[in-house]
Amino acid sequence: MKVNENKIYDPAIECMDRAELQKRQLEGLQKTVRLVYDRVPLYRERMDALGVKPEDIKTLADITKLPFTNKTDLRDEFPFGLLAADKKDIVRIQGSSGTTGKPIVSGYTENDVEVWTEMVARSLTAAGGGKDDIVQVTYGYGLFTGGLGAHQGATRIGAMTVPMSSGNTQRQLMMMHDLGATMLCCTPSYAIFLGESLREMGYDPAEFQLKSGCFGAEPWTEEMRDKIEELFDINAYNIYGLTEIAGPGVAYECPAKQGMHICEDHVIAEILDPETGEPLPYGERGELVFTTITKTGMPMIRYRTHDLCTITVEKCSCGRTHARMGRILGRTDDMLIIRGVNVFPSQIETVLLRVAGVAPHYQLIVDRVNSTDTLEVQVELTEEMFSDTVADVERIRDEIKEGIKSVVGIAAQIKLVPPKSIQRSEGKAKRTIDKRGLTENK
Amino acid sequence: MYITQISVYLENDHGTLRTLTKTLAEANIDMLGMSIADTANFGIARIVVREADFNGAITALINAGFMARKNQVLCAAVPNKPAGLDSVLAVIEENGIFIEYMYSFNYNLDGNALMILRLSSKDMDEEAIAKLLTDNGVKLVSQDAVNAL
Repeated sequence: MKVNENKIYDPAIECMDRAELQKRQLEGLQKTVRLVYDRVPLYRERMDALGVKPEDIKTLADITKLPFTNKTDLRDEFPFGLLAADKKDIVRIQGSSGTTGKPIVSGYTENDVEVWTEMVARSLTAAGGGKDDIVQVTYGYGLFTGGLGAHQGATRIGAMTVPMSSGNTQRQLMMMHDLGATMLCCTPSYAIFLGESLREMGYDPAEFQLKSGCFGAEPWTEEMRDKIEELFDINAYNIYGLTEIAGPGVAYECPAKQGMHICEDHVIAEILDPETGEPLPYGERGELVFTTITKTGMPMIRYRTHDLCTITVEKCSCGRTHARMGRILGRTDDMLIIRGVNVFPSQIETVLLRVAGVAPHYQLIVDRVNSTDTLEVQVELTEEMFSDTVADVERIRDEIKEGIKSVVGIAAQIKLVPPKSIQRSEGKAKRTIDKRGLTENK
Repeated sequence: MYITQISVYLENDHGTLRTLTKTLAEANIDMLGMSIADTANFGIARIVVREADFNGAITALINAGFMARKNQVLCAAVPNKPAGLDSVLAVIEENGIFIEYMYSFNYNLDGNALMILRLSSKDMDEEAIAKLLTDNGVKLVSQDAVNAL
């Protein structure tokens, strides 16, 4: 494996004394709380209901006085209800899937794009990136934050940026080979797929210049890291983020590969007991909750990610002082990440309701075949959906398939199954079966 | 004019058909006719039974975990000789009626073969289709006649 030197994009910030960092965090928190209280009706209502005023935030610990924000709030306030800035000051919209048919969007001011760009620049630098690099961005470009986020970060560090976007494996490998890309940004499962395809297509891995990559947008394992590192002879780094907070780069790995440093000068991270909402001590596994402290477009107060992980503030061997989060160990809700796309069973339900008239029992079976995620949706037939002609049954199946494609954005295999054939526990159907083994079973 | 057929959704798994036949056997159902439409992903069995067996068959199939429902089809008595079926299909074709599917079953009714026809038309309803066939000399078999087989 190629050795990565320990490069730091902004040592003054990334290696800042924690007491100093916390001072900055408190200032940022106070400013943000004041901003949203003054400008976002939802936050003001909720704070008033709890009897909290911006001036009540005197210490970082006072953050627990503030109300939570959920993904459903972004859906309910879609598209601009949570903006703290004037619409004319928003320069970018990014989005991701919501829990039902409607996407959620986040508005970025120029400042917010800058904050995000800085986060990705830190991530890429930590992965060894710099002016001499050629960064191939194989995340999708569009509302999804992966492509543009990596693009901005790569441009910021002065790298030669190759905006490939996702798909077309043959072309990806050809460009990677011919341009001599040194860094790759994509989902870890696609990285494995590329690595395996490279050999199948007759390339000699020695002809590639790749040295490292930032992989994220879906949960992955140490085994997958080993595999990517072996396939390409590179260092593979984990990168984490979410549209609601910024995008990729909210947290990123350094060469120590011992957890992802959270950009704590831009966000405050908490770990909470998902049941009670009470804070848990560092090191304990709980739900990750973020508050943005530098964003001005759509700041987030105590945003519940539903991701389960641990956080440590122990000093890292790389010299960075920012807290590190471990790999995502699971979810507190039923969200699945399939080929980097967030999928909620409720979205599938929306489609079934529309196509079948009623919401039949269904189950999502996610697996990984040849390094690619597969989604099979099993749908129990109702009398209304079943007919004696093949064409009618196939039409229902195809409508479900197309509905899922348009609402969720990924292709699924639809399997119509007989009534009551999907296993139920306590009368309730288990909505998802994930066979990929990426997260702990709940 | 129409007779009732039972349609059953079949998953493409080993043993599904056997479960179907076993279920009907245990419910003591006499199948008069049967056909299976198979696709790469699933199949549909169409079964003709006597009226007295409708509910017994459906209940047994549903209890065995199948999706089963009744639907209406035509049963034509087709002359058991060369061009017998062709003369029936000629009427259907010349009148712009579509055949969703058809199958024969193993009974002989007064020298006629029995043919199940599932037809559709853009501008004729089921009754109009049946009447048109009858008017053009196609002999349709009633549910009572099927029951008596």
